[in-house]
Amino acid sequence: MRKGNPAQRRYILRFMPLMTAYVLILFAANRYADAHHPAGLALAMLSILPTLPLLGVILVMGLYLVEERDEFIRNRLIVSMLWGTGILLAVATVWGFLENTGMVGHPPVYLAFPLWCAAFGIVQGVLAIRDRMAGGDE
Amino acid sequence: MNNRLKVLRAERNWSQSDLAERLEVSRQSVNAIETGRYDPSLPLAFKIAELFGLAIEDVFASPSKENEQ
Repeated sequence: MRKGNPAQRRYILRFMPLMTAYVLILFAANRYADAHHPAGLALAMLSILPTLPLLGVILVMGLYLVEERDEFIRNRLIVSMLWGTGILLAVATVWGFLENTGMVGHPPVYLAFPLWCAAFGIVQGVLAIRDRMAGGDE
Repeated sequence: MNNRLKVLRAERNWSQSDLAERLEVSRQSVNAIETGRYDPSLPLAFKIAELFGLAIEDVFASPSKENEQ
């Protein structure tokens, strides 16, 4: 049996090549930077290159949200995304104040997206378990 | 929102999966609506009522009327 509805299958089909591209581009860009030590515009372009598949992932997530026809699943997705955003904002706010007083160092800003994804994913998992435990007759 | 979905489904001997298939939604959706954890949109509520050949108010209890009681 095929897993997930058509929108979920499209999401996976779009997501997987982008993540593969991200890993390959990141690896290639690092190798190139180590070997050729580019500067200026070339370095800027090389730095941006691995972000393109990640920007694609953000777009693909948005597309899935639009294309998901099951309103209950879409609602759960939106709730999880809002939780992810709230957790990211909370962590950034607390961290910012700790950083301001020299208690902690400055984290790489690119960690914002993985942190949001992790928070969103965990909340989605918790909600899915909650729904499963809420029971049913089969 | 309270509803008679479980009763109506049982009368027809349909499982949650059967109903989900007929409504073109996931079984989780049917379960969430049935247990009152999720209120369906108006189009889905109409679809559910039409599937059972009933009016919406015969499937779903009006929250305002419930509060009056």
